[in-house]
Amino acid sequence: MAHKQKPERADVCIIGAGASGATAAKVLTEGGVSVVALERGPWRKRESFGGDELANVNRYNLWPDPLLNPRTFRASETEDPTLGLFCPVPQMVGGGTVHWQGWLPRFTEKDFHLRTIAGDVPGSSLVDWPITYTDLEPYYTEVEWAFGVSGQAGANRYESPRSRGYPCPPMPMTRYGQKFHEGCRKLGYNSFPTPMAALSRPYNGRPATVLSAFAQQHGDPTGTRSSALSVFVPDALKTGRYDLRPDCYVHEVTVDEHGRAKSAVYQDADGDFIEQEADIFIVACGAIESARLLLLSRSSRFPNGLANGSDLVGRNLTLHEYSAAVGVFDDPIYAWAGGGYVATSSYEFYEHADDRGFVGGCHIAAAGVGIPLPINWSLPDRPLWGAQAKQMDRDFFNHSFAVGMVLHDMPQHDNRVELDDEVKDAWGLPVARITHKPHPNDLAQGRWVIDHNAEILEAAGAKKTYRVYVDCITGNCSHQHGTTRMGNDPSTSVLNKHCQAHEVDNLYVVDGGPFPTATGANPTLTIMANAWRVADGLLQRQGAPVEVASSRLQ
Amino acid sequence: MEEQTPGISRGFFNPHQRETIEAAMARIIPTDDQPGAREARTIDFLDRYLSGLDYVFAKPDGSGFEQLEGKRAGAWGRRIASLREKYVTGIEELDRKAQEQFRADFVQLTEEQQDRLLADMEHPAREAEENLELAQVTGAWAPVEPAMQQTSAEIELDFFPLLALHTRQGFYSDPIYGGNKDRVGWGLIGFDGPISLAETHAGRYTTRPYFAEEQLDWEKEIDHGS
Repeated sequence: MAHKQKPERADVCIIGAGASGATAAKVLTEGGVSVVALERGPWRKRESFGGDELANVNRYNLWPDPLLNPRTFRASETEDPTLGLFCPVPQMVGGGTVHWQGWLPRFTEKDFHLRTIAGDVPGSSLVDWPITYTDLEPYYTEVEWAFGVSGQAGANRYESPRSRGYPCPPMPMTRYGQKFHEGCRKLGYNSFPTPMAALSRPYNGRPATVLSAFAQQHGDPTGTRSSALSVFVPDALKTGRYDLRPDCYVHEVTVDEHGRAKSAVYQDADGDFIEQEADIFIVACGAIESARLLLLSRSSRFPNGLANGSDLVGRNLTLHEYSAAVGVFDDPIYAWAGGGYVATSSYEFYEHADDRGFVGGCHIAAAGVGIPLPINWSLPDRPLWGAQAKQMDRDFFNHSFAVGMVLHDMPQHDNRVELDDEVKDAWGLPVARITHKPHPNDLAQGRWVIDHNAEILEAAGAKKTYRVYVDCITGNCSHQHGTTRMGNDPSTSVLNKHCQAHEVDNLYVVDGGPFPTATGANPTLTIMANAWRVADGLLQRQGAPVEVASSRLQ
Repeated sequence: MEEQTPGISRGFFNPHQRETIEAAMARIIPTDDQPGAREARTIDFLDRYLSGLDYVFAKPDGSGFEQLEGKRAGAWGRRIASLREKYVTGIEELDRKAQEQFRADFVQLTEEQQDRLLADMEHPAREAEENLELAQVTGAWAPVEPAMQQTSAEIELDFFPLLALHTRQGFYSDPIYGGNKDRVGWGLIGFDGPISLAETHAGRYTTRPYFAEEQLDWEKEIDHGS
């Protein structure tokens, strides 16, 4: 099989070099540990990115190409799955942070105890987290200060205590952010500048972020936005201990005779199979692909997939369906300026309230409706073609914006990732098959929040509003969580609170997979903070038992 | 037939196919007191796209086009072949319907007759809307929602929504792809876009003048408790 020399055994092998994998790599390498990182996608430099909506959004320059990397989806076990892109994330060094706009709100203290606060939700597998906000707080601060997050501490009335403010002041206010703020103020709602992975001023030797119309869903040719690619990967490389291998697609993680993770078997850019051994394996492929990799890693010890004796790998998938109310205004708003997502937010509907008729709540924020152009922009009543369609483009492009929501969907046991044995990717491996049906709570929450978002637009002076309710799950948000949930009980969770597999003590998962609930906030800050926590725990030998690794981790 | 834009290589369509699609595109984004698809040369955009693998991705600094390799080239080869077939059969169907209803080819019809035929073509696409939504194509062709975080799957579209999508793409995408000539699409909607891809690539393009004129002091906001 292998034509090439078997590589030297590594201290730690991290599978994936996106938000979570690059964070773990930075922390471990700076702590003196040697890391081999296997990233399935390319390692693109900033010069390879550009302000080209057609390429970036429509032609899979950054998104996975569904002819190479498809997934299948069905809303229930009795349906035939459909083929396509479902909840895609860029597959490359930097992962989703390559093309994000980077909204980085924190979760709140109550997020970690929602089951206790709200009680049982019939049909949902809602649980408390095995960790608290206090456990994560130092790592939120670490990520914010490493990235140079621009925000205003205290502006969000509902934020939980923080040990330190933001390193950079808020980004300048957009006209849509201003409208949103005005609407909120009229209704007595608190609003705050969305904390962003961008530099409002020069920071740590990096210049201030260039404000372009091409940001959300576009890579950054200037390298001035903060991302795993522009910050954590260079930090890790500086140590000389980060062996980052792009275009290396891991097909399985093997186990030794003791049932411990032994090696990652990957196919490199030449198509050769190579076996990488390591003391510790950290899986960081995103919640869907991490679950898929564990399920692909079958052995006599783990016939249903690695660390999956509980049959929980892939289950409890949550997806944050995105939806919005859209308002049309008389005065120009230029909702494409700043990429459409230099925004103002509110946590007014974030915390659970017993009188709303549903459990949970979510982050809302002002956003553009294009990314940026009417190639991928429309309004619900705009015809597909003809004179009226043209008139609406002309009248509304500069005069509309959205108040979006990140739906806090309830975890459910049967919403899951499995292998689809009927469909293979371009490397010959079964693709991820998603089964996901919204919980009635999700639909109720979506309806309530969209109605309230529309009221904010009306208070801000919108002459017309559209309410786009969530009625099905399309995976449009790229956020994904829960497929390897962490918990204290091995019969109801895949990982312990150190994100270490209950069944395989040298195996960790650090992406959104460990999240027991989705919460209502954009997850990547917390994914990175949690990966930092897990890596720090490894360094401090808190993630016991790590005896085997300890000799090398000193 | 009008001349092709200088510098654009020979496209995919034969002259009749090209005239037919150009006429249909002129109904998707019609010309009024401002330019439409015809003036934006969306036909050049499409003809170039279907010509092969040489115009899929512009180089990010606008200096030319990427050469596709490996699995990516294979995927795009399949995609372009599928799109070509849809256009060829779609044009045949347009002419067949035109002959049935008006005893002439599509290009010879009046604009009103062309609109009626295109509306006929649109109906089967409407029926497919629900399935296609699941395939995450809504933002790109059947706009029933504001743009979400998603991408299009054009290979799954029927001829008519594909034609509408490509007209829109040719009208609003960067001029390097052959359409949006003289940036007329951006002019129509008031998008102050970059002069070229190179401007964005070099970090010279900024949208800062389109931010709020008066900036809020968030510190004061906190003091006011709102």
